[in-house]
Amino acid sequence: MKIHVNEQIVELADNSNIEQLLTYLDKPLMGSAIAVNQEIISRSHWADTILNEGDNISLFQAIAGG
Amino acid sequence: MLSDDELLRYSRHLLLEDVGKTGQEALKKANVLIIGMGGLGSPASLYLAAAGIGHLVLSDFDNIEVSNLQRQITYQSDDIGESKVEVTKRKLQQINPDIKVRSINKAMPEEQLTMELTMADLVLDCTDNMAARQMINKACVNAKVPLIVGAAIRLEGQLMFFDHSHADSSCYHCLFPDSEEQTLNCSNSGIIGPVVGTIGTLQALEAIKYFVGLPSGIKNKLKLFDGKSLDWQTFAINKDPKCTVCGQH
Ligand SMILES: [Zn+2]
Repeated sequence: MKIHVNEQIVELADNSNIEQLLTYLDKPLMGSAIAVNQEIISRSHWADTILNEGDNISLFQAIAGG
Repeated sequence: MLSDDELLRYSRHLLLEDVGKTGQEALKKANVLIIGMGGLGSPASLYLAAAGIGHLVLSDFDNIEVSNLQRQITYQSDDIGESKVEVTKRKLQQINPDIKVRSINKAMPEEQLTMELTMADLVLDCTDNMAARQMINKACVNAKVPLIVGAAIRLEGQLMFFDHSHADSSCYHCLFPDSEEQTLNCSNSGIIGPVVGTIGTLQALEAIKYFVGLPSGIKNKLKLFDGKSLDWQTFAINKDPKCTVCGQH
């Protein structure tokens, strides 16, 4: 299936979850936040949130600066 | 009641139907704790003092360094070496002698923060590190005090509002559960002044709206600011029932 990650098209196996996406993208779990279709998915739900064709994923880092 | 001087000082607020005398009196009664007097806390504290927030408490343990002056607009070159909270307090009182400003020139341990929260109506998190952000979030959840969080790095900003007076509010930890300092900060990544200034300014705007009774469009939301495109993205932050800070544990 095709999904969008930060506006780039990513080809991913059907029924992948968020943890599998991050592993596939080789992104650190630590300090990351992820939103599926503009809704933040809490870390505790990364393993049980299955992605669907056409999902818009936003992946970003916590910022501590100020 | 507002004095004649105050009616004049706040005349541009009073012209607004959304603020008016009732709103200005609410600002005068308000107690706001601002933690961090850097690039976020500078514009936030200047605007809140100017707006007539009656009681401001400022917390920071840093002294002013020359590298702060590129973005921390409260300070000037001859303030270098002085305490940030003391200089800020002096300048805020020069802007508005009618308000009360108290300074806490140290890193507050959790017990002191909890004590301060008993007197605060609202907290602005203007800090520069993840450990402080997690501690402030936890204390505000426990004390049920609303929290407006700002953060900025490079040309990116983040803004959130968690109204912990409502038990169903999500929290900072639902979004970012890591306390490890793997996150980005101004000293390791750089920052452009107006980017952090934009976020600090919006923390002040949200605070003013809160006290005058205007609804916030960002409760339980994360606003991401891109300083290159000037685009904003908005994300809903749902309460995580398994959150170790705000969840049912
Ligand atoms: Zn939470």
